[in-house]
Amino acid sequence: MTTVVPTADSSDETLAARAAAGDDRAFEEIVARYERRVFRVACRLTSETDAPDVLQNTFLQVYRNLPSFRGESRFATWLYRIATNAALMVRRARTRKPAESLDAFMPRFDEHGMHADLPAQLQVASRADELIDRQALVEKARAAIARLPDVYRDAFVLRDLEEMSTTDVAQVLGVEPATVRQRVHRARLLLRGYLSDLVGVKR
Amino acid sequence: MEYLEGVLPPETNAALEAHVAACERCTAFVASYRETPRILRTATAVELPADIQESLHAFLRRLRS
Repeated sequence: MTTVVPTADSSDETLAARAAAGDDRAFEEIVARYERRVFRVACRLTSETDAPDVLQNTFLQVYRNLPSFRGESRFATWLYRIATNAALMVRRARTRKPAESLDAFMPRFDEHGMHADLPAQLQVASRADELIDRQALVEKARAAIARLPDVYRDAFVLRDLEEMSTTDVAQVLGVEPATVRQRVHRARLLLRGYLSDLVGVKR
Repeated sequence: MEYLEGVLPPETNAALEAHVAACERCTAFVASYRETPRILRTATAVELPADIQESLHAFLRRLRS
């Protein structure tokens, strides 16, 4: 008699092994665990229009590649790498954005090394969700993220929006952790500037 | 950047922390830098629509049949 392992309590890695061996319930549990997260990250890396295709392609690739999952990274990291690559494929098909200078979004300092802007101007980005209504904020937030240079967007979405560790993001993107930290930092500066702009206050 | 990331050695971090706490402009800048991800995370937290979920499940059933 075969011992039945409760699917919902199993680790991702156990489920992956069972799914790779042809266990349909294990594969369905993987889908149930990750479909919402994959859709969300797809929206953040591409758009709501493209996200359904990214979602479908991700699970197609997961299904096909499960037998080659060796546990060298956590299963979640492996799956996020597939989802990120699926999103980048869609994005590559779109027009490349022109590069934007970071300088305009850097904090400005006076001759004494003090912030040149007033506290009210400096803090305005942190009050964006109080200053504009919810629907407008959703639209502006999507536009702000889409406006980021692609490499900053990828690092920021995975690190700050999906709340992955810097090490995991580095694995997903195939770069050094220091590179992830630098890209995320630049993305935060840019986005802080974009948020200040959208509530109509000078940085 | 290291200060904002919270990865500075404790002594250097403490010195900067003391400066930021005493400087209204730095406090405002650091607050906005740290709040920006939270605001964007909340604003972009979409749900998976039921019709897209059902399309995915139908696609995966066909794939495995």
